[in-house]
Amino acid sequence: MSYYAGIDVGSLSSDAVIVDAAGGIKGWAVTETGAHSTNAASAALDKALERAGLRPDQVAYTVATGYGRAAVPQAGKKVTEITCHALGAYTLFPEVGTVVDIGGQDSKVIRLGENGKVVDFVMNDKCAAGTGRFLEVMAAKLGVTLDDLGRLSLGAEGEVAISSVCTVFAESEVVSLVAKNQPIPQIIKGLHRAVVNRVAAMTGTTGVREQVIMSGGVAKNAGVVKLMAERLGVEISVPDEPQIVGALGAALLAAREDAV
Amino acid sequence: MSMPSIPSRAEHLEAWRESGGKVCAAFPAQYPKELLWAHGVLPVEVWDPPLAATRAPGHLQPYICSVVRQGLELLLAGAGDSVDLILFPHTCDSLQNLASLVGDYLKPAAPSLFFYNPKAPFKAPAREFYLDQLHALDRQLAGLFGPRAQGALEQALEWSRALAALHAKAYKMRALGELAAGAGEFYAVLRAGEYLHPTALIPLLEGWLAQSAGSASAGERIVLSGVLPGPPDLLESLDVLGLVVGNDDLLSMSRRLLTSPPGTGEPLAALGEVFLHMPPCSTRGSSLEERLAWIKGLAGQSKSKGVVFVEVKFCEPELFDLPELRRGLKEAGLPSLVLEVDVNQAAGGQAATRLEAFREMMA
Repeated sequence: MSYYAGIDVGSLSSDAVIVDAAGGIKGWAVTETGAHSTNAASAALDKALERAGLRPDQVAYTVATGYGRAAVPQAGKKVTEITCHALGAYTLFPEVGTVVDIGGQDSKVIRLGENGKVVDFVMNDKCAAGTGRFLEVMAAKLGVTLDDLGRLSLGAEGEVAISSVCTVFAESEVVSLVAKNQPIPQIIKGLHRAVVNRVAAMTGTTGVREQVIMSGGVAKNAGVVKLMAERLGVEISVPDEPQIVGALGAALLAAREDAV
Repeated sequence: MSMPSIPSRAEHLEAWRESGGKVCAAFPAQYPKELLWAHGVLPVEVWDPPLAATRAPGHLQPYICSVVRQGLELLLAGAGDSVDLILFPHTCDSLQNLASLVGDYLKPAAPSLFFYNPKAPFKAPAREFYLDQLHALDRQLAGLFGPRAQGALEQALEWSRALAALHAKAYKMRALGELAAGAGEFYAVLRAGEYLHPTALIPLLEGWLAQSAGSASAGERIVLSGVLPGPPDLLESLDVLGLVVGNDDLLSMSRRLLTSPPGTGEPLAALGEVFLHMPPCSTRGSSLEERLAWIKGLAGQSKSKGVVFVEVKFCEPELFDLPELRRGLKEAGLPSLVLEVDVNQAAGGQAATRLEAFREMMA
């Protein structure tokens, strides 16, 4: 039996998925990227293999994706995260029409055609606005964990408007709001709104076709997902493990590549 | 195919000056360079001077494009004192404002001239206006450098026809996949025309085209649109990723280099026809329909499957029509990608990823 690996090296997390020839997920892992992409890719792969109960030599082919894909020596092929996220989402949700992925360093909206093929995409600009990094910086400034952001914002009674999506300016704004004793949950909801508005604006280029899927680490933030659904006027589905959608797509491509 | 040896801007300028020639710093984009040649003046174009922008940002709003910012940086560095003339064509409002600022505040040693291009549609009044502009510039140049020699304009028009024919040949070979040169080489050679005199440029192009006949690289073919071809790392990414430029719709390139003056008629009137017959362009007020049809035609000629817009950030004329252009291309089955760049800054890894994803999408 042959197995296939997909490794997604992102700015914050490195993720790996192992699938069998039929595309069934045998193991997966999410690890921190840290300062060394190659090491992070190896750590993610090792962990996924361990969970799958497999040895490295049982992996027939590996595809790497993500911004650090060039630094994955195990990979026979490197594919962009656009293609991998689309394939991963299409496999998990065969009716998917739009993928909204908010990762640590960038965010992207991917439009898929009826057959799951990418027909359009847009990525954010060269800044942290509208990315997980924006929320990470703000969480640190507010003294809460990333995992708490969603829960706190969902419990907010009201919302404080954040006027800037620039991480630097928004950080100053947050400091001012904290100094005025504005409730933290309301500030967080305002920050979520800023991210959602920024990313939702990207759909102006691609359009939105249902079913809409959110992936990436920020999809674990229920507060952002709720506001995004309201903003786009659609229901949004989130995979059980939104961080491994790209790695899953890469693993499925690895299986296809080996079959050629 | 190896890159031909191209004299650097500094080398060429030095040699030109040593021969007693005059130099004009010419701002983008369309201007009658033939008239400058005819007056013994070498136009050296100012698109993206390789300078760190340290002083210009202090004088400009942050949303002014980097072509204008870099141009001002060059002038603040004293370039206006080392040339014989500065020419500002009215290409966009930002360049027009720069021209006013330079004239009102910087006051460089070299005289500044404005050149006003009419906007489409180019009916009789536009033709008349443009001809008046040519006559006025001719008089201004004569006032500065003396009357042009007899037959000089006719000679300049001959050079212009030869260059347009060579450019057209390069574009045709590339569109047909018969040019063995990547995007980096293609644009490095053609951009030499931003400063080389025709007597140097014509043999360079002739030699390069003769040596470069051959099969183009395999890959997904695209049309490149925008102002400039893009930073070197972006062009390198195209070559590395297997994206082959089959044609372009670039302001600095095909929108102005391929149009030849007619071989008959009064020389200044013939020169006027060059501008009036250039391809559709955002800076000339061309309609969206014309531009869309033109780009679709470029894609068809070169069997290109998509369009990559490399836009200089904050370029108002280019960006305004972009959503409608992209929609029209999409309806025609041509996907498009937009990359925003600053001149003189690397496009970076994100741009390379977008190009790679675009190639995967088209495959």
